[in-house]
Amino acid sequence: MLSVQLVAACSLFYIALLFMVAYFADKKQEQGQSIISNPHIYSLSIAVYATAWTFYGSVGKAATTGFDFLLIYLGPSLTVFSWWFLLRKIVRISKENNITSIADFISSRYGKSQWLGAIITIIAILGIMPYIALQLKAVSTTFSIITGHPDIHLLFQGGSFLPSPQPGFLSALLLSIFGIVFGARHLVSSERHEGLVAAIAVESIVKLIAFMSVGVFVTYFVFDGFSDIFSRLQARDPALHDHLTTFGEAGEVSYSNWFTILYLSMGAIIMLPRQFHILVIENSSEAHIKDAMWRFPAYMFLINIFVVPIALGGILLTGSNSGADYFVLTLPLSSGHPWLALLAFLGGFSAAAGMVMVESVAISTMFLNHLVMPIIVKLKPRSWFSVLLINLKRFGIFLVVFLGYLYYGIVGETYMLVNMGLISFAAAAQFGPALIGGLYWRRGNKAGAITGIVLGFVIWFYTLMVPSFVKSGWWQSDILEKGPLGLDLLRPTELFGLTGLDIWTNAMFWSMLFNIGSYLACSIILPQDDTEKEQVIKFVDVFKEVQEEVPWETKRLTKPVTVMQFVNLMTKFIGESQSHSAIAEYLGDGEIDEKGGVSEFELPRLKRFIEKTLAGSLGGAAAGAIVESYLSDIGSKMESVYDIFSTVRSELSESREALSVRLRASEIMNRTLDLSIIMYDLLELIRKEFKFDLAVIRLIDAEGKLATRSYSGTPIPSIIKREITPDINTYIGDAFLSNRPGFLNDTRHHTKSESKELIEREGIRSFAHIPIAREGEPPVGVLSVFSSSIIGLYTQPFIDLLASLAGQLAQAVKIDSEMKAKERERQQKELALLENARVAKEMEIAKQIQLSLLPSSPPALTGTSFASRCIPATHVGGDYYDFFQRGDEIVDIIIADVSGHSVGAALIMVETRSVLRAQIPSTNSTGAILAMLNELLYEDLTSAELFITMFFIKYDARSRLLTYSSAGHNHPLLYRPGALSCIELDAEGLIIGVKRGVAFEERSLQLQQGDILLMYTDGITEAQNSAGELFGERRLCQILASAQYESPELLIDRILDEVAAFTETLPLQDDVSIVIMKVI
Amino acid sequence: MKNELKRTLLKRFHLTEIWVIFFILGIIMMNYPFVHIFYKPRQIFGIPAFFLYLYLGWLISICVIYLFVKATDLNEGKNKDKGEHR
Repeated sequence: MLSVQLVAACSLFYIALLFMVAYFADKKQEQGQSIISNPHIYSLSIAVYATAWTFYGSVGKAATTGFDFLLIYLGPSLTVFSWWFLLRKIVRISKENNITSIADFISSRYGKSQWLGAIITIIAILGIMPYIALQLKAVSTTFSIITGHPDIHLLFQGGSFLPSPQPGFLSALLLSIFGIVFGARHLVSSERHEGLVAAIAVESIVKLIAFMSVGVFVTYFVFDGFSDIFSRLQARDPALHDHLTTFGEAGEVSYSNWFTILYLSMGAIIMLPRQFHILVIENSSEAHIKDAMWRFPAYMFLINIFVVPIALGGILLTGSNSGADYFVLTLPLSSGHPWLALLAFLGGFSAAAGMVMVESVAISTMFLNHLVMPIIVKLKPRSWFSVLLINLKRFGIFLVVFLGYLYYGIVGETYMLVNMGLISFAAAAQFGPALIGGLYWRRGNKAGAITGIVLGFVIWFYTLMVPSFVKSGWWQSDILEKGPLGLDLLRPTELFGLTGLDIWTNAMFWSMLFNIGSYLACSIILPQDDTEKEQVIKFVDVFKEVQEEVPWETKRLTKPVTVMQFVNLMTKFIGESQSHSAIAEYLGDGEIDEKGGVSEFELPRLKRFIEKTLAGSLGGAAAGAIVESYLSDIGSKMESVYDIFSTVRSELSESREALSVRLRASEIMNRTLDLSIIMYDLLELIRKEFKFDLAVIRLIDAEGKLATRSYSGTPIPSIIKREITPDINTYIGDAFLSNRPGFLNDTRHHTKSESKELIEREGIRSFAHIPIAREGEPPVGVLSVFSSSIIGLYTQPFIDLLASLAGQLAQAVKIDSEMKAKERERQQKELALLENARVAKEMEIAKQIQLSLLPSSPPALTGTSFASRCIPATHVGGDYYDFFQRGDEIVDIIIADVSGHSVGAALIMVETRSVLRAQIPSTNSTGAILAMLNELLYEDLTSAELFITMFFIKYDARSRLLTYSSAGHNHPLLYRPGALSCIELDAEGLIIGVKRGVAFEERSLQLQQGDILLMYTDGITEAQNSAGELFGERRLCQILASAQYESPELLIDRILDEVAAFTETLPLQDDVSIVIMKVI
Repeated sequence: MKNELKRTLLKRFHLTEIWVIFFILGIIMMNYPFVHIFYKPRQIFGIPAFFLYLYLGWLISICVIYLFVKATDLNEGKNKDKGEHR
């Protein structure tokens, strides 16, 4: 025996150590360093599976029924093989959905059902009662044994005013305080509790060392190894030996019992709430699972290796197997090793405390999220909610532990430790069909899960709990023998007349039959709702490499909600700092519009994020309910978009409808080049396919207005008649100017007041404006669609489809405008040609007129012969020559050249001619005439920026006297027969039209017979050949010399031939005029 | 040849199916009629046969898991991210 004080002090010291470990781990976690995030700690923490049951109960079981105690550990060791695909899948799903408990997990799978969550929680709380009771019983009993006192409460005897508590009360109080300190300091339950896990890991080490120490002591110090114990027992009691080392007789430890316990323990390792919590919620990396797969069975192996020696050794030492549950403690005590007993006590205390801590944390989370939250969400969110919630969670821990205490009080000493634990295992097994089915079977639905679990639970309660109440004597009833109301068939332990089975097999057979049967039946018969279908994908397909995400939102919020509204909502439940950091993480560098909202397509995603964040603290079902009720408060709800694409999707994640529309649209584009037909056909297609009431195409016109070019559907005059100047204040203008599709899924929520009146008057419920633009180019128009009946038509892919159609249309518009531009150009060219021809004809006429102004024939003057020729370079020219005959003997010869050879020059030439004709009679003097001409023409020439060179000759045929004046004209050449060169006639005088009041010199020259006078314009002498050489006077003179005997007419021909030969192919650059006078 | 065999084995070990097969194998070995083989009350080296069967079988299964987990580790190191979720 050890003193109470010593045991209490050691226990407190040990507790303090655990607190320090936990505190240290929590501090490290706050600093961002995790000491528990490794496979060693993870594996050790899973060993929370080994509770006081393992520590004490296994030995008890081994001493009474034999090796079947081992099934509790062989089952999990078998399950380990499935962890790589099963547990990893559960962990992945839980991390991605912020799962907080097994109740959350199963209820999330089945459409976030609040009912399912609540049912599972109730089952878990009731089902775990015997298990907690087991721990309390173990702790208080071992304390009594080691101290020799009946219970801890004796500590307070002697003057204490405290009421004397029941055995185990202080244990319950202590363990629940443990639970609160380690597990319920924060609200967020999907976060890992590093302190808790660290403490559990230390406890696992302590209980392993303690148990193995006792095992080694009994096996090798008290006895001489394994075979010694076995042979001694066989020698002493062969029947007991055979009984314990093989199966017992049927009914006690039969095969059926064997399998039942094996399967129960296989399920328990994952489905017990605390195992789920440690394995899934506290898991920090999937990679740790792999290591835990061999570490955890190895731990189980080590802690069980000495169970049989201790049990058999106990029987050998004490002579019987009564009190075998506590051999671990009593053997060292009775053999005089109290310190070893104290170590064993601490080991057992560790095992019990660890289990209660984790279990209470797991269950209280479920209690809060699935029982309290459904009520809380009905209330209006308040700022003190987060404080209330954490305290409710703490209350939950007390509740769980004290319910266990209550059960302990009722059943107490009746059952062995192991049998109490098995009742809990059987309760947890009821979650199995819904959990495993939910992971792999898509059809599994909410109705199936609820019916299965409820029926399984009812049968569990009836076949296991009720007998335990009756056997303990708490409920006086003969129901076990005679059945309820004397109905034999309904005896709890032999349900429906199924006799011959042990209590566990009976319970498991019937509960699983009803559980699985109704789960399958309801799932097959009843349909799933939308949320369930959504969740099925998240669960069953979690490992699909590219998770088949719905490529676009099929839901929309009827009324937009801003980010701030969501943040305020979250703050009320999880506190300000958490909600702010969550939203910051979500938004990242995402877009928020000016009103603090996200785009309409983004909203459902944001809503889901808010739900997920809240789910991390409150569980999925409650989080969903909170957000839904908040939305309905502000008058918004999620509704399905009018899914125009239906649900049939092709390989390219595009609906068949969308593909077909695209195809038909391109057929329309290719069928014709006529834009108006294209536009009309396209509108018809869009309108009919998507059931719009009106579809309109507007193109921008030359004045920059959007004018209706085509429409299809019920014409709304105020829409189609309107010419719109693009303006940011209208939806259409905004869409056109920003080159982004604009749409309104529900016109009741319009934001542009300018469009309000029109929308209301015409009863438009939704519309969209899609800019008609080619990639990277400004829009050329707008495609508008209107619906007066359907709300919520536009999804991102639908808008994308319309935009792509508009893009095709833009291409057609572009082709059309290019074609029109080419056509216009061609017409212009044609017109220009026509115009040219007309001008050419006019010019030809002008040419004829001009030529006709020149003397038709040279004058007939005795003793002289004349010839003259004028060849304009273009149609009309500025060259001019004339003869004025005064009587029979005197003739005036004029040759002139108006600068340029344009129409202007021709007109001036005509004017000059008129003036000359009028003035010549008034004087005889050649100089005077030129002077007069200069005066008269000066102004006209100046204003036309032209001038005239002129040579005026007066010839008297009787005296052969030649009088001449020059106004800057080319010098006429006079060739005298026999001379080697020509005489150039020259006289002082300025070009006409340069200056007023110019005097012109008048010179005279006596001609002789045979003289040839050649007057010409510069077109002759300045004619160029291809080498750029000028024809010049010298060549002209040579022609005169060589052809001096020819007639003037032939001379001209000769000159023109020579010039033509000289310039070869080059056309004449200037007008050419020649006058030749020959004295005969 | 040896490397080839090793690689093929590693590749096979990586599959989820192998775990399923082991799982089923374990259940068979823990069930009737398999356990019936060791039902008899006889001793080997002074230790009951059934005790040895359960504990040795358990130990062997732990070793098998250990080896396969290590094999998977090696395999993953070689081709990261490949076939992670088959």
